[in-house]
Amino acid sequence: MFPTMPAREARAQVTFRAMAAALSYPGRRQTLPVTGFEAFLAIAESLVDLESSYTTNSRDLDAQVGPLGGRRLAIAEAHYQFYPTLAAHDLIELREAPVGTYLYPDHSATLIIGCRFELGLLLRLSGPGIQGATEIDVAGLPEDFWMLRASACAYPLGWDVFLVSGNALIGLPRTTRVEVA
Amino acid sequence: MNLSDLSTPTRDYSYAFLDAFAKRELRRRILKAIAIPGYQVPYASRELPIARGWGTGGLQVSLSLVGPQDTIKVIDQGDDQSVNAANLRRFIARMSGVATTFDTLAATVIQSRHRVPEEILSEGQILVLQVPDPEPLRRATPSMTIAREMHADADYAVMWLNLYEQIVRYGEFTGGASYPVLVHSRYVMSPSPIPRWDNPKLHQAAHLTLLSAGREKRLYAVPPYTDVRPLEFEDVFFKVESQYGRRDRMTGATHKFMDEIAHADGSSTFSLSDTGYQDKLVKRQSGEAVTVGATYYDDHGEFYHAGFLKS
Repeated sequence: MFPTMPAREARAQVTFRAMAAALSYPGRRQTLPVTGFEAFLAIAESLVDLESSYTTNSRDLDAQVGPLGGRRLAIAEAHYQFYPTLAAHDLIELREAPVGTYLYPDHSATLIIGCRFELGLLLRLSGPGIQGATEIDVAGLPEDFWMLRASACAYPLGWDVFLVSGNALIGLPRTTRVEVA
Repeated sequence: MNLSDLSTPTRDYSYAFLDAFAKRELRRRILKAIAIPGYQVPYASRELPIARGWGTGGLQVSLSLVGPQDTIKVIDQGDDQSVNAANLRRFIARMSGVATTFDTLAATVIQSRHRVPEEILSEGQILVLQVPDPEPLRRATPSMTIAREMHADADYAVMWLNLYEQIVRYGEFTGGASYPVLVHSRYVMSPSPIPRWDNPKLHQAAHLTLLSAGREKRLYAVPPYTDVRPLEFEDVFFKVESQYGRRDRMTGATHKFMDEIAHADGSSTFSLSDTGYQDKLVKRQSGEAVTVGATYYDDHGEFYHAGFLKS
């Protein structure tokens, strides 16, 4: 008799594997088990608990993520940051998001950002996990975000970014070089 | 609403043994490890019903990865059937209901003690290596604090000095297993005590490699398609263990990593270290239909990334 996996845990496991695959193969779309707002919640459930910190610009998400037990911190300190929509004015504070230290580069922000994988900005990606280079189309993000990310990602410091569109997930670890085409 | 709506059925164990908190913690660390190739991420390393030092690091990573859709292979020095491998495999299967296999090509997660399989791993497969000592600078400094500072500064002068001294004293690199590598041109990493033969297999690989030390509470990763270069000089090159003249006693295979089997009369014969691969070769020779994958080293001993091993 195998131990069974409750539905919530099953969702967290599938979500985590999609995230691990997304970071392993940046630019390739992975599939989350749920879509839209629920996708953000599934990612939060698989990462956030009593031992971690979060922040979000969405009241709805805050109400759902709060009970997971994570500590809600300011953008300058929170390790998991959820932005179902990222507006240009959000970038002013986002600038402060932690990039880690040379001793502990893992003490850095993971940004989970909503966008649309459709015709918008063409991004050319290269780095670990990508053979040569690959391209993705991203719409619904302020263009300045990419400049901000580039200045934050001075390897080994930087942000690890997950882009969510519907139930599709793309990972951009700090090692990925993004060129706006 | 009544109580049964709020509770889940009684379970003796969590799925995959670890509680949800332990799994979430491991998963957070694994994601950071993938994002910073070669950097050792500290983690809590929970108690398991297996003693630390017997593969608990790899086991925790495997348990936090697996779901019902996975197929797992566990090897110990290449062998699927050694006591350690058999016990870990049985534990993971009992605790998660995953399918098990001896076939490298069929596995989605491969937990290994000190070997990388001979057949080329493909995209989507995850190799979990058990690590006794994650710190490549341990021989240079006993202090974890100083080692961490050296990693932060990318100050690896002592590693180069160490290699230089080996050449001065012995005329060649004397490091055996655990030969240090430079990952993504930044972090020096211990690839776990895999033989030098297996080191090049991590370079620009299609699969994800996760390395985890349960006793030392550190885990790190090599993402797919990442540069992993053994430390070597411009004029003195890294070399893999020569398998020249060695022939598998069961299948006659050559240019694969061999175990030496000593006999009472002082002579010795050789046997493929990767028993899953050996099993398939035996089956093929007896006429059974079996898919044998391409191997990292071909039958002439040439590595699949041409030019990576210099001579």
